Amino acid sequence: MISLAGRDILHSWGKFVLTGAGLGLLIGVTLSMAGVYRGMVDDAQALLDNSRADLWVVQKDTLGPYAEPSSLPEDSERPIRGMRGVAQAAGVTYLTMQIAHGDADVRVMVVGAEMGEPGLPGQPTHLISGRQIVRGHYEAVADLKTGFAVGDRVKVRRNSYTIVGLTSRMVSSGGDPMLFLSLKDAQAAQFQKDSDAIVRQRARTAANPQLNPPGNPAVAQAVNAVQSGNTNVNAVLVSIARDADPDAVAATIRRWQRLTVYTRAEMEEILVEKLIANSAKQIAMFLVILSIVSAAIVAFIIYTMTIGKIREIAVLKLIGTRNRTISWMILQQALGLGLIGFIVGKIAASLWAPFFPKYVLLLPADSALGFVAVMLICTLASVLAIQAAIKVDPAEAIGG
Amino acid sequence: MAEGITLENVVKTYGKGETAVHALRGVDMAVAKGEVVGLIGPSGSGKSTLLKCLGAVIEPTSGKMTIGDRCIYDNGWKVRDLRALRRDMIGFIFQAPYLIPFLDVTDNVALLPMLARKPNAVARKQARDLLDALGVGHRAAAMPSQLSGGEQQRVAIARALINRPPVILADEPTAPLDGQRAVAVAGLLNDMARQFDTAIIIVTHDEKIIPTFKRLYNIRDGRTVEDVTAPNA
Ligand SMILES: Nc1ncnc2c1ncn2[C@@H]1O[C@H](COP(=O)(O)OP(=O)(O)OP(=O)(O)O)[C@@H](O)[C@H]1O
Ligand SMILES: [Mg+2]
Repeated sequence: MISLAGRDILHSWGKFVLTGAGLGLLIGVTLSMAGVYRGMVDDAQALLDNSRADLWVVQKDTLGPYAEPSSLPEDSERPIRGMRGVAQAAGVTYLTMQIAHGDADVRVMVVGAEMGEPGLPGQPTHLISGRQIVRGHYEAVADLKTGFAVGDRVKVRRNSYTIVGLTSRMVSSGGDPMLFLSLKDAQAAQFQKDSDAIVRQRARTAANPQLNPPGNPAVAQAVNAVQSGNTNVNAVLVSIARDADPDAVAATIRRWQRLTVYTRAEMEEILVEKLIANSAKQIAMFLVILSIVSAAIVAFIIYTMTIGKIREIAVLKLIGTRNRTISWMILQQALGLGLIGFIVGKIAASLWAPFFPKYVLLLPADSALGFVAVMLICTLASVLAIQAAIKVDPAEAIGG
Repeated sequence: MAEGITLENVVKTYGKGETAVHALRGVDMAVAKGEVVGLIGPSGSGKSTLLKCLGAVIEPTSGKMTIGDRCIYDNGWKVRDLRALRRDMIGFIFQAPYLIPFLDVTDNVALLPMLARKPNAVARKQARDLLDALGVGHRAAAMPSQLSGGEQQRVAIARALINRPPVILADEPTAPLDGQRAVAVAGLLNDMARQFDTAIIIVTHDEKIIPTFKRLYNIRDGRTVEDVTAPNA
């Protein structure tokens, strides 16, 4: 047997490879879109894994701390720590903000974690250089993605912090790198008011006879102290004892503390199905459009290539070639184009993935699925050309 | 006379009723194996229509056709698989060579047996032998676009001969060639007819090659008139 399609491709390989490469870039974009989604899911999982928590205790009836704001008193952690099945509990704060670094701004998620004892949930993991925060104030650990280096000084609100350690893959669900501060520092940064606001608030307190009773300045001082301090956290992260059942512990906390508690599975559901659900739909939409565009391109190319060979096809039919042989030739060419496109697309997607601002995770399973989809699309796209070839009348080769 | 191809009272009408075109009105023909005949006639006389009927590309409205002792059409009855019949029993040569541009000369000739699952090596050997016999063996590895018009036409003749068909139909095979080469190709077809024991029917307008035919069918108004050519016969 002889492969007509293969010989045709070899004969005009330049045209074929160029068209295949063009299609390949489109497929590369498609694979990257899927990778962006996988990256978002993976970021969310990394966020949960890296927090080393089994339970998230948040403000009652909120989806906090990642999907909704949540605020609860810092000391809610103390009774939880004493409950049966709880190994450790620690308050955390999360705050996304822009931080100046050199000439540019870096968007980071400032994480306030309790540094009292090592290994508490919420502390930075995956330290790749430097050390943990040991002093109570003005030290920070940053993720590599911030671009900071050990020894750098960065300014968060009004205070400067020295970077003492670097982590890898510690990012928020939005892909922003984390900057860890001690809980106290982070609380100060989160709730700090600017000087004007403090002056104005003090003036309001001074003017209010109930807060500033004449002849008793201690009351106003106390009020000011309460107003400027902050002892809230966004969530309490709980790790449970090895043999404890997370659901049972969660139920106990709910019963006694009037707080909302999420297990790891529930938290993952909140992140994946609520926080990134819209992005996922957006990406799915893109995938559908890109598939249609690819199909249209393959169909157009294969159709024009076939129409360009109408004379030869008529001759082949006249001398007794089966319709099946000719259809198979066209289908093979479409599949060949798809194969070149897929290889180019796969390489392109792998090459440009690191340059994406957010994590792009190319899963082999997605690639396999993509390959099957490309082959299906090419098969569908060749239908039009095959129909045209079947309609060719062998008498056309003889003419009038 | 060995049985080649015969037509008996073949009628072909395009369309129906008022607009019907009677292209063939009862054609009789008989060409023996090893014989070459010319088919001439004014424009619109039905030459191409007749060639399509002979080539089993279109079916006649009525009449009978046989190749060897096999009946192809008989007043409405026809062989089931005309495509396979064309492949096995009829060779075609066209005005332009219509070689497959992405196959080299050898594979253009070897294409039919290869598609019929004959081992490639066997088919190619057969093709090269034919190309040698036609005097284009030295071009066996070239692509069609690298050949001259005359060489291409010889390759096309080799392709028509590859399955050793009992009948070869040629549609103005010398039209694009100059006088000398046209006569050479006509001579070649004469040799091939004898060598491969094939009936060859050549539709032509070409004054230069008409004298080379021993027998000539002249078609007028859809009816054949047999002329026995004088000059060389
Ligand atoms: N498919 C068709 N449908 C209808 N009429 C046709 C068709 N093909 C040919 N005819 C008519 O049949 C007649 C014979 O045509 P044919 O093509 O056989 O002539 P020809 O001898 O080959 O002419 P020429 O030398 O110009 O090629 C013409 O009147 C033509 O218009
Ligand atoms: Mg004609």
